Amino acid sequence: MSEQIEQALSKQYEAGFYSEIESDTFENGLDESIIRRISAMKNEPEWMLEWRLKAYHSWLEMEEPDWAHVVYPKVDYQAISYYSSPKSMKDKPKSLDEVDPELLDVYNKLGIPLHEQEMLAGVAVDAVFDSVSVVTTFREKLHEAGVIFCPISEAIQKYPELVKKYIGSVVPRTDNYFAALNSAVFTDGSFVYIPKGVRCPMELSTYFRINEQNTGQFERTLIVADEGSHVSYLEGCTAPQRDENQLHAAVVELVALDKANIKYSTVQNWYPGDENGKGGIYNFVTKRGICHDDAKISWTQVETGSAVTWKYPSCVLKGDNSVGEFYSVALTRGRQQADTGTKMIHLGKNTRSTIISKGISAGKSNNAYRGLVQMGPKSDGARNFTQCDSLLIGDQCGAHTFPYIESRNPSAIVEHEATTSKVSDEQLFLAQQRGLDAEKAVSMIVNGFCKEVFKELPMEFAVEAGKLLEISLEGSVG
Amino acid sequence: MSQWLSEVIATAQTHQDWLAPHRQAALAELEKVRWPLRKVEDWRFTPLIPVEKRSVSLAKPENTEFSAPKIGELSAIELVFSGNELLTDVCALSLPEGLEIVRFSSATAEQQQVIESLLSDVKPAKHLFGQVNDALLADGLYIKVAAGKTIDTPIRISQLASNEGDQHLRVLMQVEAGARATVLEDGYGDASSVNTAFSEYVLHSEAHLEHYRFAMFTQQAMHVGGCHFKVAEKAQLSSTLIGYGSQLSRLDVDVIYTGEFANANINAIYLLAEGELFDLHTTIEHAVPNCTTEENARGIVGDRAKAVFNGRIHIHRDAQKTLAELNNRNLLLSRRAVINTKPELEIYADDVKCAHGATVAEIDDTALYYLLTRGISRSQALIMLNFGFIRELINQIPNEDIAGWLLTQLHDRFVGMEVK
Repeated sequence: MSEQIEQALSKQYEAGFYSEIESDTFENGLDESIIRRISAMKNEPEWMLEWRLKAYHSWLEMEEPDWAHVVYPKVDYQAISYYSSPKSMKDKPKSLDEVDPELLDVYNKLGIPLHEQEMLAGVAVDAVFDSVSVVTTFREKLHEAGVIFCPISEAIQKYPELVKKYIGSVVPRTDNYFAALNSAVFTDGSFVYIPKGVRCPMELSTYFRINEQNTGQFERTLIVADEGSHVSYLEGCTAPQRDENQLHAAVVELVALDKANIKYSTVQNWYPGDENGKGGIYNFVTKRGICHDDAKISWTQVETGSAVTWKYPSCVLKGDNSVGEFYSVALTRGRQQADTGTKMIHLGKNTRSTIISKGISAGKSNNAYRGLVQMGPKSDGARNFTQCDSLLIGDQCGAHTFPYIESRNPSAIVEHEATTSKVSDEQLFLAQQRGLDAEKAVSMIVNGFCKEVFKELPMEFAVEAGKLLEISLEGSVG
Repeated sequence: MSQWLSEVIATAQTHQDWLAPHRQAALAELEKVRWPLRKVEDWRFTPLIPVEKRSVSLAKPENTEFSAPKIGELSAIELVFSGNELLTDVCALSLPEGLEIVRFSSATAEQQQVIESLLSDVKPAKHLFGQVNDALLADGLYIKVAAGKTIDTPIRISQLASNEGDQHLRVLMQVEAGARATVLEDGYGDASSVNTAFSEYVLHSEAHLEHYRFAMFTQQAMHVGGCHFKVAEKAQLSSTLIGYGSQLSRLDVDVIYTGEFANANINAIYLLAEGELFDLHTTIEHAVPNCTTEENARGIVGDRAKAVFNGRIHIHRDAQKTLAELNNRNLLLSRRAVINTKPELEIYADDVKCAHGATVAEIDDTALYYLLTRGISRSQALIMLNFGFIRELINQIPNEDIAGWLLTQLHDRFVGMEVK
């Protein structure tokens, strides 16, 4: 009896212990108080907190979508910690010697410099390595051009009008289950503003953003390109990233005002889980851009990681003569599952969109393209061209295509084509005859298959993406 | 659950005939149904509002003389279904050797057994209106073509919707090994009643079926139907589907390959005007290797009409060497017309050649210009071009009488659409 009492007491103590001390990591679970605490941690103004709470309440009433062609154990949203500060120095590996040699092997193959390897592997290094100075010069240059590029939490403090005006304007907080969750609990992300007529002097990359650590699992990015401006933004990186969080529900919003041009490139290589599909990241992302008159948004993505991907970068072509583009390479292997594609919503006159999607499935993976092309009643002269090609490597994988086409305008033209093929024996034979081994030959053929997308990527990225595919395909032949 | 569905269940429970045990299974499923709202993918673009609040009243055989339109010079074995029962006296028909036609309501105990074993064997179990048909069917046809026999005369099954109430028709057909037959299913009606018609075909090895399904319901009619085929080794299926639009018109076509080296060729045409709706769902299950599918669906949508097309090709694991092609082309004639199309591929085998394409467009300016420069009036040129688009498919119809009749029917309908 006394034992039980003691146990009960100690339990109470445990609970008290958590709330008493200021912890850097929140306890698991989600309720209003957690959101209030996140908002307080970030020192956010009242309107932001209200916005988060409204999102949270809508989220409570929403159902997790189940239409995607993916199967995964349901996420327990009460078993996640919604805020954790960066790992302290002493928890991190002391040097590269402590890092998984397999990971290092991949870094070396990708030709990633040593200090970057340390950063990616999360090694506790002094902050004084080369890239810091790179970052400083980088910031100065942007400042001269008038470009704002900072963490979104900083932007909420410094540029509240801009954030207030545009946040949730493209992806409303009630847009979908994951977007609502993100709106309630997002911890950080990037904010970019390009002033009128400015051509951003360099490619912006999350990689260089100060305070890059702990963007967390609920990242939120907002890019506003004012009239006539140009910007190219790179997200992610080819190197596999270590991450403890299983669920990633990011939101990216792009606003291209009249005649603006945004190019958004992503390379995603999160941990895909082990051979049996255990572990691995769930990547449930909402990305959408809005194009005003004569504006253009171009999405390019190379998706090779994550256990489950649910991602549809979209363009709302609201303005007349606006242009949307989507170029995608999605590679799945092992037990990965991807359900990815795009939405092109044509509202304005003479709007144009192009969709090129290349899906490669290997191993026991499933790779689905799901897209929507919608021609509104006022989209006179609008035009869309879609091409979805799938390549299957092995007889245990799956490749799927679910294109939705909805047209309400007689003068709009929509074309959709999809093909499925495999790496043919003839192609392999030809390559092998010329002295290439089977693996090289396959990677060459796959690279050729993806060429149309790679040529849309910024140059260095394209080279890396090619290498990344090569490595990802290792062991999937024969 | 909708009011209509609860009434369907209540009505079905009052039927007491030899089909009752079969009916029970369907009823059990219907009890569990979540009434399709926009959130159910299968009914996402086709609202069921017209059916939802209706009350169920089944049509009764009336004394009026029913006759289906004459199809050119076609001489067929005519079977007319109306007033929720078969009007043709099957026993009085003189049938060619090798052909057997049995009416459910007059089946012998032995035939009942065969029918029971075939019911819902091909039709997907989960189709809501298929279950409704299971539950409410009062009469139906069982047709068998004996092995190796060729039936030259087409078998025509016409469903004439009644003004008075709903009707539910079921057809089961077996084409035995090496046999050949032609079947035409056509349906007409414009009154506000609910008509379902589901047919299940089993093609045994090397069987050959030339199939037609004309869903020519218009105006207030509500029709939900399905053609479901099981295709065995080296069997061949050619099917031509015609859809007019009405308040609610939906057709599901499923092809399941059960043997290798079989092939199916499916052509579909839909022509919609005013506020009509037509929804065509096709599913091709490549469950075994070495089969070939070619599917072409073309539609012209005018006025405030809405066309829905969902073409799914599913290639199962190990269904290697499959060749499958699906093409859907649409012309929109008006600003208020809507087309929703979704050609789907689901592929689990690597050595296959699969392609699909879909287009929505208006007619080519260059082609129009060419005709105008030849002195053809604009309206005439538009008819030529638009109609030429579907004529290509009509030209592929093997039966000349049917093709000729269809051409006039579709042409008249199309010209009528243009004039409005």
